[in-house]
Amino acid sequence: MPLHDVGYRPWTGTPRSRGAAAVIAGTGIRLAFKSRWLRRVLLFAWSPALVFAGGFFAFEQAVEESARGEPVSPTRRLDNFGTIGALVADSLGGRLDEPEAARRTVWSRLLLAFMRAPQAVLLAVVVGLVAPKLIAGDLRARAWLVYFTRPLGRTDYILGKVLALAAIVGLVTLVPALVLWIVGVLVSPSVWVAVATSDLPLRIVAAAAAVTLPTVLLALAYSSLTAESRIATFAWFATWVACWIAHGALTGADMAAEAARAPTANRGFDRLLGQVAGDPRLPRDGRPPLGWLARAAGLERTVDRWSWLSLYHAQGIVQAWIFGIEDRLAVVLPPLLALLAVALVSLVILFRRVDAPARA
Amino acid sequence: MPLRLEGVTKRYGARTVLDGVSVEVPPGITGLVGPNGAGKSTLVRAILGLVRLAAGSARVYGLDPATVPLAVRRRIGVVPEDDCSVPGLSGVEMVQYAARLSGLPSTEALRRAHEVLDWCDAGQERYREVETLSVGMRQKVAFAAAIVHDPDLVILDEPTNGLDPLERRAMLGRLVALARDHGKTILVSTHVLRDVQSICDRLVLLVRGRVRLAGSIAELTGTDTDELRLRGAGPTARLVACLTAHGVAAREAADGGGVLLRAADTAALHAVWLAAHDAGFAVESLAADRRPLEDVFLAALAAADAADAGRPEDEGRSHAPA
Repeated sequence: MPLHDVGYRPWTGTPRSRGAAAVIAGTGIRLAFKSRWLRRVLLFAWSPALVFAGGFFAFEQAVEESARGEPVSPTRRLDNFGTIGALVADSLGGRLDEPEAARRTVWSRLLLAFMRAPQAVLLAVVVGLVAPKLIAGDLRARAWLVYFTRPLGRTDYILGKVLALAAIVGLVTLVPALVLWIVGVLVSPSVWVAVATSDLPLRIVAAAAAVTLPTVLLALAYSSLTAESRIATFAWFATWVACWIAHGALTGADMAAEAARAPTANRGFDRLLGQVAGDPRLPRDGRPPLGWLARAAGLERTVDRWSWLSLYHAQGIVQAWIFGIEDRLAVVLPPLLALLAVALVSLVILFRRVDAPARA
Repeated sequence: MPLRLEGVTKRYGARTVLDGVSVEVPPGITGLVGPNGAGKSTLVRAILGLVRLAAGSARVYGLDPATVPLAVRRRIGVVPEDDCSVPGLSGVEMVQYAARLSGLPSTEALRRAHEVLDWCDAGQERYREVETLSVGMRQKVAFAAAIVHDPDLVILDEPTNGLDPLERRAMLGRLVALARDHGKTILVSTHVLRDVQSICDRLVLLVRGRVRLAGSIAELTGTDTDELRLRGAGPTARLVACLTAHGVAAREAADGGGVLLRAADTAALHAVWLAAHDAGFAVESLAADRRPLEDVFLAALAAADAADAGRPEDEGRSHAPA
């Protein structure tokens, strides 16, 4: 008999009637972090933030040098941060002679580029590592018998799993973006910049939600469809890649058709070579020095007809809309509706699947 | 009444899994027995409010699982037959998690988890991941998780599956303690009739979704008379004559299993020993004449088969021996 065996004693406390979702989320996060691979990927996922933090610092340096009357130009030797900042500003359509307006423009676009280019891809990796096991693992281990014989419903279970995954996704998208904004404020000349750009944290939260909600729900829906987490992982990455390829193929076909119609202009293939044209705010001939950054920041003014086909591209356009960079309804509406449809269908699948074994 | 089912009917498509099940489960230990596919698991799901009934109603402490399933489940603890665990959790984490899902605060859940695991004699094994535990240990963890929130009604599906004789006896002892000392209502679904006979107060026999037998074990296994059965070695005819000579009404058992007699008081019992001595009969046992539960079970199955013969949906589902 154990030393501390006091026999069976009734429990006289009062049980809480709410909070099951938080318990499921907390345990889900704790179990996910037992994976060494997840910890490594999360650490790696923060490395782009360092590069973009450098971008914020360089831009503010350029603003400061410009305010002091020092000549800041992309043609100068690249021997200090101010010059790099001028390049960044030039690429993102910010005019250093109007520092306040330039700051809003450049910060928004840097944040969008950060969330859109590296983080959206890393997010797919993180979700692919975590999500499949969240429900498929429960189905395999028959954990639904643990959950649905207790005082909690489908909504608590789904909410718990969504919160667990969203918290981990937030560590890749939301938190580093907010940290970047704080870094921007800290390296700017005045703390009043925080007030002037106070809408950006809200936009970051909204943009992160726009990414998180459909991806998390879709990944969990896949996870609920099988007891084999490997199949869910494969389905997740296959969807991501297939959508990307489909989008690329259709966009490429459009560009080829455009090139055939106007072979001398050949604007479609110019885009492939990194040239972005059409934004009136861009300097000179509309060819920014950092073309990839401008594209990631949503400065491409051509209409992407197939963005709704790809999660990555659809999220990028919706995020650009949230940051105020994309304002054309015809461009925003299809991907926005596509993301909503993905979220809704995933939610329906989840509600039908999570307690199906218990009801069978 | 802790649990009351009235005309509970559940259909999956054209197949009727529960067919007008009406049963009352009072405090104490009730055995739910029946062959595979009898509808026991579906009945448990109906009690938990997990399945929608085609007809009838269930009441758990007066609550309807169909309308307030969460309130019902708060008062129930379930030990499922199948292995179930949350991947990655140790035994104690699993029990704590179950407690927290049932509404216990975090610290209290941990304290209570250790307390019930101690009571279940879980030892240091509780710190290993559930998937790596032995069958017996997993059963202890599942049992601890079921009772950690101190439910009023505990439902167990094959609780002694995979347990060695010592652990089996300990598990049955815990069930008896919960029922007798703490007033819990326990519903045990099992195939092991020996367990039912040793710990249950009542029995419900379910065959093809219908209740075929329900009542107290004493009623079901007892005979119509209050006779005692004397078993042993020796001439039974001579024993009967000696018993009659000593004023004890006795007769040879028709099944050849000793002598049946009536002994109303201590004096009569004394006369039995004297008669056995006079007849040269070596007494092995003297006990109330009870039918083995297995005989009751098989007779009820045969009766169910006979009653259902000709019903189209029951064709091919007979339990009669080939």
